[in-house]
Parts: sequence; structure tokens; C-alpha cells
Amino acid sequence: MTISQQVKTTVASLKGAQANLESFALATQNKQAKQLYTQAAQDTQTILQSLEQRVTQLEKEEPQYKGF
Amino acid sequence: MPDWLNILIRSLVSIVFVFILTKLIGKRQLSQMTFFEYTVGIALGDLAAMIADDLSGPMYKGILAMSVYAGFPILLGWLALKNKSVRNFVEGKATILIKDGKVMEDNLKKERMSSDELLEHLRLKNAFRVADVEFALMEPNGKVSVLMKSQNQPITPKHLGVTVAPETEPQTVIMDGKILDESLATRGFNRGWLNTELNKAGVLLENVFIGQVDTNGQLFLDLYDDLIQVPQPQTLKLTYLTLQKCQADLEIFALSVQDAAAKKRYEQEAARLKQVLNDVTPLLTR
Repeated sequence: MTISQQVKTTVASLKGAQANLESFALATQNKQAKQLYTQAAQDTQTILQSLEQRVTQLEKEEPQYKGF
Repeated sequence: MPDWLNILIRSLVSIVFVFILTKLIGKRQLSQMTFFEYTVGIALGDLAAMIADDLSGPMYKGILAMSVYAGFPILLGWLALKNKSVRNFVEGKATILIKDGKVMEDNLKKERMSSDELLEHLRLKNAFRVADVEFALMEPNGKVSVLMKSQNQPITPKHLGVTVAPETEPQTVIMDGKILDESLATRGFNRGWLNTELNKAGVLLENVFIGQVDTNGQLFLDLYDDLIQVPQPQTLKLTYLTLQKCQADLEIFALSVQDAAAKKRYEQEAARLKQVLNDVTPLLTR
């Protein structure tokens, strides 16, 4: 597995976890927990955005591994 | 009218009447907080039995007496609710038995409680050493409440400085194979959601004895057929582990990448994800 593939795998898992956090935020009725989940989901989203920039960068460097 | 028919009618009337009166007096009588309430309870039962088998007098007399007996605690309870001094008089006050770790002998004498009895009451509250007790008092209902010295109190997450996730009461949404729509709605879900969850677990609704939804919206199922293994809800744990794995991955990338800018980005995001992990750990691991 190339580096860019590894990074993409990590980004994909993180996306899944981020979606889970969002669904927990929706499912819980406790205000405090809801707020914690929402915050965590937002933070993870920012991390994801930053990582995706890195993925684009990697794809530019190694165009042969573009896509999945 | 033959005697047996008379007794039958009287018994039915008195039972129904007792039932109505106890409903009127309410739960408070059941807890029998004071000796007075206890006595009223016994007297009511006795009067009801008298109506049933004492054929000498008319029934209304017994019913009248019962009404008075039931009405009085209701009236007193209402007065006590309105006025503190009435409350002190009617319900009595608590007596302090141990204060600042010292036994109040005078108060013990007032309650006619021997040292043996005091020790017995303390033992019932798991206080085997008097030295462990900071404060103890006898409630108006005769029970003893004990406050242990702080070093002897059970340890809680607060003592350990551990943050724990807030917990709300679980809702029972399936009972005896039937969906309880009301509690499902309270929790903010519907039958569609429940059916999906049941399908995910691969379980028929008729086979579920108890189904409960916890704080996180996870469904716990207990089946009639205990041989069938129900998968435990794993999403929380799985999310936690995924986050951990991603965090570790980012750290590895940060170590292995050559490009300085990329290294910095990975390090920064790894640190940020670690922070997120710290925040959600109490929520996801329980």
C-alpha cells in the first residue's frame, strides 16, 4: 500500500467515526452529551478538511495513484 | 334477608369503601411516616372488618366512622403542608443522636434508646465503629439516618477527579413482545427506527421480553429464547477505537513523512484529534 493509499484509508475511517459522532449527537437527549458530541464532530470535521488538502497534495505528487 | 347474604353485601361494600379511602389518602399513608398514620391505618382496617361481620348495627355508622378516620389524616396533612409549626407538631421532629462524632446521651434518653439499640441502628447502616460516624439522627418515623465521616464515605468519580458522561434514565420500549409507543415517543424515536434496530439484531419482535433504549439511543434486548445470542450494541466502542486508530495513524504519518510542511500538518492534526478523543472518552467508554 502506498503512502497516499494509507492516508486515504485513515481519512475514510475518520469520516466514518465523524458520522458516528454526529449520529450520537442526534440520538442522545442529554443536553451536555449532545453538546460534547457536536463539538467533537465539528473538530473532527476540521481535521478531516485539513487531511483532505494533504490528500490532494499527495495526488498531485503521485498522479498515478489518483482516486481509490 | 339471610345472614350470609347480609355478610356478603357488607363485605363487598366495606372492601370497596376501604379501597376508595386508601386511594384518597394516597401513597403517604403507605409509607407510614409517623406513628399516627400507622395507627390510623390499623384503625381503618379494623373498622372495615367490623362493618363486614358485625350485623347488629346499620352499615352507615361504620362507614361514617371510617370516613372520619380517613378524613382526619388528609386534613392534618393539608394543614401540615401549609404551616411549619403544625408540621412540627403533627409529624414530629428528628432527634440528633450523634453530633460531631459524639453521642448525645440526653437525646438518647429522651427517645428511650439504649446504647445497644443505638449500636444496632448504626450497624444496620453499616457503621460498625462509632468513631466512623460524624452525625446520626432519628427521623420522625423511627429510622436512623447516618452521615459517615468524609474519609469513610464511599469513593465516587468526583473524589477521583474523573469526568463521567451524564446519564439519563433508560426507556423501556418493548415489554412482553409488545411495543410501548409512549416511551418510544418520549425518547424521540418511532416504530420505524425500532424495526430497523430489531432487523439489525436479527430478532423478531414477538421474541423480545424486554427492550430498553439507553442514553445513547442504543437498544438492549432480552429474549424469551435465551439460547439465541443477541449482538451487543458496539457502535460506541467501535467509534472510540476508530478514532484512536486514526490518531495513531496520523502520528505515524507525522514520523514517516519527509516534507516539513506535511509533517507539521500531521502533527497538528494528531494533537487536535487527541484532544477530541480526550473529550469524548467518558461518553464513548461506558
